Amino acid sequence: MSPSRSIIGNRISLASGAGDSRSPLGLVGAVLLHAAIIAATLFSFEHRLDIAQESPPVVPVDLVTIGAKTNITPTVRPQRRVAAEPVVQPKPEPHLAPEPIVPPKPQPLEFHAPKIAMEKSEPAPQQETPPQPASKPQPKKSSADNFQALLNKLSTSSSSQPANARIAQQTRKGFGAQDAMTMDLRDSLKNQIEQCWNPPAGAPHPEQLVVFVDLRLNPDGSVAGKPQLAAQSLTAVAGNPFIRAAADAAMRAIYVCAPYKLPAERFSDWRDSTVEFDPRDLAGQ
Amino acid sequence: MRRIVTLLAALVGIALASPASATLQIDVNQGNLQPMPIAITDFGGAPGQNVASVVRADLDRSGLFRPLDPKSFVDQIKGFNVPPNFANWRVINAQALVTGQETIQPDGRMKVAFRLWDVFGEQQMIAEEYTTTPESWRRVAHLIADAIYQRVTGEKGYFDTRIVFISESGPLLNRKKRLAIMDEDGFNPIYLTNGSYLVLTPRFNPTAQTIAYMSYIAGKPRVYVFDIDSGRQEMLGDFPNMTFSPRFSPDGNRVVMSLEQSGVSDIYSMDLRTRSTTRLTNDRAIDTSPSYSPDGRQITFESDRGGSQQIYVMNADGSNSLRISFGAGKNGTPVWSPRGDLIALTKQDAGAFRIGVMRPDGSGERIISDGWEDEGPTWAPNGRVLMFSRTLRGGHGSQIWSVDVTGRNEQRVATPGDASDPAWSPLIQ
Repeated sequence: MSPSRSIIGNRISLASGAGDSRSPLGLVGAVLLHAAIIAATLFSFEHRLDIAQESPPVVPVDLVTIGAKTNITPTVRPQRRVAAEPVVQPKPEPHLAPEPIVPPKPQPLEFHAPKIAMEKSEPAPQQETPPQPASKPQPKKSSADNFQALLNKLSTSSSSQPANARIAQQTRKGFGAQDAMTMDLRDSLKNQIEQCWNPPAGAPHPEQLVVFVDLRLNPDGSVAGKPQLAAQSLTAVAGNPFIRAAADAAMRAIYVCAPYKLPAERFSDWRDSTVEFDPRDLAGQ
Repeated sequence: MRRIVTLLAALVGIALASPASATLQIDVNQGNLQPMPIAITDFGGAPGQNVASVVRADLDRSGLFRPLDPKSFVDQIKGFNVPPNFANWRVINAQALVTGQETIQPDGRMKVAFRLWDVFGEQQMIAEEYTTTPESWRRVAHLIADAIYQRVTGEKGYFDTRIVFISESGPLLNRKKRLAIMDEDGFNPIYLTNGSYLVLTPRFNPTAQTIAYMSYIAGKPRVYVFDIDSGRQEMLGDFPNMTFSPRFSPDGNRVVMSLEQSGVSDIYSMDLRTRSTTRLTNDRAIDTSPSYSPDGRQITFESDRGGSQQIYVMNADGSNSLRISFGAGKNGTPVWSPRGDLIALTKQDAGAFRIGVMRPDGSGERIISDGWEDEGPTWAPNGRVLMFSRTLRGGHGSQIWSVDVTGRNEQRVATPGDASDPAWSPLIQ
């Protein structure tokens, strides 16, 4: 009884306080601020619409203007790159993209071997082996192999753009995070994956169930090799059945929706991606 | 030294070049909630067919899986120890595949083994084997369904559980109410009492197969504890007045209940080992429906001390009680989830009773059932599914329904005749 009265009393005093503080100056200020906000939203709106409707024509314009600035730095650097590239060229072709996919495949074959494999412990290591081969080769082999693995990345990019490789690198670098250029690709891939993602709704602590997957695609939009959990997700999966289930659901989404429909001429832009599966907005659904 | 220098030079070159092979960053935060298509092949042997069909029914009922019709299978499983031809299962859009084998051992016992395969990832997800008497084949099927459910959702299953409930029969004016128990899927119903006395509000011990309930034996309403295996029934304490609304602590060592005295009721807890009682609330209001948090440190209960029936949370020793429900209408029968993240309740608003959930701090309230008179929620041991009583409009019968904590997959639970007041058992040990 008494608490409710005092609350009402508070409200009244607050309301009257607000009335006292009104003044013509404040009003003018408020009107000006509102006008400024409306103007600002109008500007940003038009800009976004332009990009959305005609992204291909707009992007090159940005490239040219910013590229002019960044061209200053690359002129110093090409020498270092030249040093790197000769090393690249001898070995790129033997180390084509399929290489990293090979190690996981022998494992499924091992399913033939355990004839009465019933224990939980037996299947578990098999299931968790795929990530391991990726890490094992590195410590075993010398730094030269590390080097080759790194070169693989480089080689694939250079082979996809053989003639203009250097120029493309420079201009893109100047373009920062390439947001505008690849925004349509991101949206397209995102929309396609979302159709197939069965998120872990109803699970406790959805904020812990965010999973990152490194995905590589083939030119026809199919999944190249096995998508891998990104490092931060890999460690989390080990001890938590909920995260493991979330990771499995993410993998299924990627497989089920493949092949992806993306513009073939821009393959190099969408070949590699890191997909974040975030169920936080879906909690409690 | 030269090697190191060339290596460093190359690394610098790569670092500079890497932006060119930059990866797309994609944030997937919207999904398409749909039951997962799963193919469950018949297990080898005649009883095996039954095992597979029970596994299919369990997973289907959960609402999280969609078992595919075996008639749609295009692939024949060559053998239990041969990896399946995954492409043939992708053709029918199966995302997971279950194969199994059932054999009778020389000693007459039955051995059932199964494998769960990831059809797209082309690998085995789990494989397990159970040995039991052939009569227990239904339990084995439930255990397999639990294992699949847990591997795919991360959550423990709940198919190998039982439900106690009040079975109602006879005319409205002379209703016979008997305590009954059945498997979670409605099979194997057994009556535990003969209906000669009234039984209400059965509650499972979370650690053992014992039940606490209120019964009017010899006209005196008191709380009893019943051992399912032995059939032994025992009155809890000898109070002068009515005791009701019992519930076990998470460790099974205590029972909290209400004791009525001259029109008001307070909450007491009793240590089952020493039989000593502790009074937890002390006011001129009706405090009832206590339920422990899974860590045993807090108790949620309903009280009308604020003028209307609302939900409160207090420490297990009765201190620091705090009102948590403030929305429209009245709120009652709070039950703390075994997972700890939510409290289920019955909300009475605008002439209807519905089941809702809220967080223990009172936030995030959601209504998850849509009947006209739904009440008395009980949690599955995994805290993911709820059952409750539903009275049909006009009092034409009562039924037990289940619903996912997300509010999806509301469905009727099979019971022999009318039924109310369900209580979900822990996983059978």
